[in-house]
Amino acid sequence: MSKYLKKIMLVFFLAICPMLLTSCGLPGVSGSDKNTIKIASQSSTESQIIANIVGQLINHELGYKISLVNNLGSSTVAHQAMLRHDADISATRYTGTDLTGVLQLSNIKDPAKASRLVKREFKQRYHQTWFPSYGFADTYAFMTTQAFAQKHQLNNISDLQKISSSLNAGVDTSWMNRKGDGYQDFTKYYGFSFGRVYPMQIGLVYDAVEAGKMETVLGYSTDGRIKSYHLKILKDDKRFFPPYNCSMVVNDSLLKKYPKLAPVLHRLDGKINLKTMQTLNYEVDNNLLEPSVVAQQFLEKHNYFKGDDN
Amino acid sequence: MTGLSTWDQFWYYFAHNGFFVLQQFTRHFLISVYGVLFAAIVGIPLGILIARRKKLSDTVIGIANVIQTIPSLAMLSIIMLGLGLGVNTVIATVFLYSLLPIIKNTYAGMQGVDANVLDSGRGMGMTKFQILYLIELPLSFSVIMGGIRNALVIAIGITAIGAFVGAGGLGDIIIRGTNATNGGAIILAGALPTALMTIISDLLLGFIQRKLSPQTSD
Repeated sequence: MSKYLKKIMLVFFLAICPMLLTSCGLPGVSGSDKNTIKIASQSSTESQIIANIVGQLINHELGYKISLVNNLGSSTVAHQAMLRHDADISATRYTGTDLTGVLQLSNIKDPAKASRLVKREFKQRYHQTWFPSYGFADTYAFMTTQAFAQKHQLNNISDLQKISSSLNAGVDTSWMNRKGDGYQDFTKYYGFSFGRVYPMQIGLVYDAVEAGKMETVLGYSTDGRIKSYHLKILKDDKRFFPPYNCSMVVNDSLLKKYPKLAPVLHRLDGKINLKTMQTLNYEVDNNLLEPSVVAQQFLEKHNYFKGDDN
Repeated sequence: MTGLSTWDQFWYYFAHNGFFVLQQFTRHFLISVYGVLFAAIVGIPLGILIARRKKLSDTVIGIANVIQTIPSLAMLSIIMLGLGLGVNTVIATVFLYSLLPIIKNTYAGMQGVDANVLDSGRGMGMTKFQILYLIELPLSFSVIMGGIRNALVIAIGITAIGAFVGAGGLGDIIIRGTNATNGGAIILAGALPTALMTIISDLLLGFIQRKLSPQTSD
């Protein structure tokens, strides 16, 4: 009997060994090759666009093979993938999220201080480099229609105070009960509350304010619909919402392995401002273009930022 | 975009992202095929072996059955713990799910070979290998092929779920559709090619199966 068991084991090993070996370089499904640079992106539109921009930039300028690890659930998952070297570049990471999430530190309202801290801690704890921000932050923002803002001369969130009791506000459901930067803390911090607050799914708020159902809503600052509806974002003048500057994070081991990589990646520093990000998001969410197509158009338009090496 | 019907949006999507869809289509197909191919490399010899040693058949088929009962999303997560994110995890999952249909069909095919034919082979002085290659495998070929067809259909479905562990493929497009503001058309753009791939590859394998099966002249 044991003779046959041995045979079975042999068959298994013979088949599984080449499988494990060859799966490191199966033609057509790049992604496991040792020389492929793997880029992690989350499931949000924004993250996928940026990941494609980073990937195509590397591929076009340096010719390295690229593979995207797509649809990760959260920045914590992306962080784990980075630690395991399932990915070496994390396309979109936000200072505020990683400060409280990955690093387990308390929130810091000053953007410069927050990014300095995140940068230092990631270097020390994980040997990862936080790049300078792309130039936009994806944070909660109060917004109104242009007409309403003009009528009541609204520029900052504190300008809402004088008319707040008559306002209907639409907000993200999860924001209502959040600790730290939720509605409770908001009313204490700014010293006023809204006449009525309607918690709703985040995707609906932009249409609600555009249709005049609400006077002001709380949405994400990079959403493409802000651009298409010409909404006015009110400035967070008292800095209630923590900074969510967006950067890429790269494993130091990768930068060491490819010395040419860092200058190319730095080309994207500060190149994507809020308006640009809104436009790119809009192209995907509303105009049915794939993130990779949008990324390619963006890079070609800017000639792959040639000459911006620093 | 809001003015267009879902169907118009669907065509618009294809017109603007055709190349991307094609890339994902190829990737999806290759992931499924690799998984099934490895399963065939392991499963067919295993099926032949358990047809020879009947005592083993219950154990082996039992194990393959148990593997089949694990939900695919759970299987992906379990394998992800070992192999990490990416393509390898999905290929390994597809491999495990493809084992049962292939082993079972190989076993059934070998069992189905007429004992008289085997006897006459032996009477002609054939060696064991000759019997295997000249009699048993050709006669059970169509049943084994049936198992591979079955496995490939399952595999294409599982690969779609593989998008959750970052492997890419058409599942990527479906997930994006669920995230987009008005993503009905995008979901269709991911789902229809998946269904099409299943149908075409099944037809293709069926065609090969008929071409390669030994023809009897009655």
